[in-house]
Amino acid sequence: MTYITKKYDEAFINKNSVRTNYKKLINWFKNQDNNELRKKNSDAMKFFQNTGVSFKVYSNDDKENLIPFDIIPRIINYKEWDKIVKGITQRVLAINFFLNDIYSEQEIIKHEVIPVDLIQNNPAFLKQMIGFIPPKKTYNHISGIDLIKTNSDNFYVLEDNVRVPSGASYMIENRDTMIKLFPDLISRYKVFENRNYTKNLSEILKKSSPKKTNRNPNIVLLTPGIYNSAFFEHAFLADKLGIELVEGKDLRVINKYLNMKTIEGWKRVDVIYRRIDDIFLDPLSFKEDSFLGVPGLMEVYRNKNVTIANAPGTGISDDKSIYSYIPDIIKFYLGQKPILKNVKTFKCRVKDELKYVLDNLNKLVVKEVHGSGGYGMLVGPLASKTEISKFKNKIIKNPYNYIAQPTLSLSTCPIYTKKGLTSRHVDLRCFALLAKEKVTVTTGGLTRVALKKDSLVVNSSQGGGTKDTWILSS
Amino acid sequence: MLGSTADSLFWMFRYIERVENTLCMIESGFQLYLLSSNNLYNEWDAILRTNSIRHHFLKKNNSLESLNIINFMFKEPKNLNNILLLIGKARENARRSRVSITSEVWEAINTCWLYLNEELNKKINENKIQIIIKNTREKIALIFGFLERSMLKNEILNFCYLGTFIERFDNTARILNTRYYLLMDEKKFRFEGYDNFQLEMILRSISSYRSFMWKNQNEIKANKVSYFLISDKDMPKSLMFCISETIKNLKSIHKKNFTKNNSYLNALSIQKRIKQKHTNFNNYSFLNGLFKINMTLAANIEDEFNFQ
Repeated sequence: MTYITKKYDEAFINKNSVRTNYKKLINWFKNQDNNELRKKNSDAMKFFQNTGVSFKVYSNDDKENLIPFDIIPRIINYKEWDKIVKGITQRVLAINFFLNDIYSEQEIIKHEVIPVDLIQNNPAFLKQMIGFIPPKKTYNHISGIDLIKTNSDNFYVLEDNVRVPSGASYMIENRDTMIKLFPDLISRYKVFENRNYTKNLSEILKKSSPKKTNRNPNIVLLTPGIYNSAFFEHAFLADKLGIELVEGKDLRVINKYLNMKTIEGWKRVDVIYRRIDDIFLDPLSFKEDSFLGVPGLMEVYRNKNVTIANAPGTGISDDKSIYSYIPDIIKFYLGQKPILKNVKTFKCRVKDELKYVLDNLNKLVVKEVHGSGGYGMLVGPLASKTEISKFKNKIIKNPYNYIAQPTLSLSTCPIYTKKGLTSRHVDLRCFALLAKEKVTVTTGGLTRVALKKDSLVVNSSQGGGTKDTWILSS
Repeated sequence: MLGSTADSLFWMFRYIERVENTLCMIESGFQLYLLSSNNLYNEWDAILRTNSIRHHFLKKNNSLESLNIINFMFKEPKNLNNILLLIGKARENARRSRVSITSEVWEAINTCWLYLNEELNKKINENKIQIIIKNTREKIALIFGFLERSMLKNEILNFCYLGTFIERFDNTARILNTRYYLLMDEKKFRFEGYDNFQLEMILRSISSYRSFMWKNQNEIKANKVSYFLISDKDMPKSLMFCISETIKNLKSIHKKNFTKNNSYLNALSIQKRIKQKHTNFNNYSFLNGLFKINMTLAANIEDEFNFQ
């Protein structure tokens, strides 16, 4: 099988010429017995199945799905990575300043950098947070920044996920799997460790505690429960962090403090690493019929008797319409030029841009402002005429709800198939942790890969897979 | 430890134990089927009653046909104690308490669940029944093996064992309850056609026939079988063994305060009753009494340790 590279491919310049990062890998690959590789490929899936590394796609059946894992690693050299780290650090700090500002003085609005209605009419803007400074002035303790590459020089930021970003567990499991299956290959490179993510996460959660004593804070991970699509990750992280995995029903507010129900009675909780959305956190403050949260939690939080990570209200900053202003936000708070570029984004809320979008739907990717997981979007070049016209009506009805981006020629990476290597589109989710104004970006990330030929959708809920990501230390 | 975690651990092992016990019963019935025994229908009848599913089975079926019963016990959705459902519940509880168990224990449970799902979702072939039972029992042994070898000896393990022994007590008590008439003193009660075969089947239904014969010089007598199942402290399925293990684990969790707790007091009262009984074990009210206190004991545990 000949390796075909239509777009920018990260491994091959053309079918005969391999880029430096990938040379050792491709040489190694050529010397492998294909039957042996095929077996290792199925061993990898079996390993995921037996360990229960699964992802539940929301559907009517109870089936748990495995995220397909590709055995060919993605390789990024240190120079490229260094730029990514600097760029992400900048964004994460700027977003935290932005969140602290819009819930207090709103200087950014006063200076007319961001239109007021973008904040005020935004459902992700929580009025309950106005005038409140969260413990240690930190909102976005944990971020998952999605990057894409279109040519040899640049990574672009596609999304800043700061609500409840997931994927870190797959990043770690992928590395474990590669070490088990291909120790000879990984030892040929000098690859940075990424499994220290959980140690770093543990540290920033400890630092975020509102408590002043030296005793170790009691940290819990709040999950919606075993039927949630990312439950595997919740259990995985709680296990690695050595903290209790709790559901709302395990928690109760007693005498202005949050407590968890143990076999010996109630025990105080200092930090919640929550994996549920804002609106489910507290039925007294948000969605009244939510059973996932804890009645009275927000009051405890506002009294600074517990830290919630990420802070309620953080979601507004990963809203897709705010995304288009992130370069301005960086400039406003840090006085710097953005190191990582944004993808060109058309705001349907702006009249001229709306017109352009409506006239060019067949060329654009249109996304809901609050959508995620690849749902509720239109990929223009792949959509039928009926789909486009239906979507057009939706946009006209509520233009504030949509943004559009040009169809980007995402870079490709080789994946393993029974017939040999073949190219597929990829993106990269990087994980950044923030405490005391210091950002730690995990060296590595989760490469998501569209497994269908020519597909640009890499989301695991839409049939995408993942691969290990190697950052070379030299 | 969270009360809800204790709850999950306790129930995970109740369900695992129930799977094992149900498999033993299916196996004993299936052996009779293969031998075309005259006692086949009585045996299935007793098995269905022990599991409290006779009524449900007969709603759908007119006769006690062996393969239908086996199918019913393996995977009929209307049977809430079917093997597929039980292992699913065990795994669900394992997922809930995933943080408390080791990855070895989790993987052992998960692979057992994957295996049963694969096998039982196909048509159950007569030739495969024994293989499925054997493989599943091996996988369950692996769960217990990893439980013993990979877990810290702390209250997490205690709750796993509490679930195991409360369930096992319940199972042995049910078997005795269903067949108490077989175990009555031979001198007073002799049934026509009564033979040791049915006693043998009781032992087989808890996979303890060989160990009984070994302890009793190959001689089957009703009072010896009763003693073996009720009072023998060496027999891992006897009521005495189960309650002693329950007491041991309760003491370990409660540490110093165990004497004040209802669960401990009730467990102690079961042990005392068994110790005091030397003859005429098989009085129905005696067995039924033990069975009921064990249920209360389970409720005490749920209450005292803040299960949901």
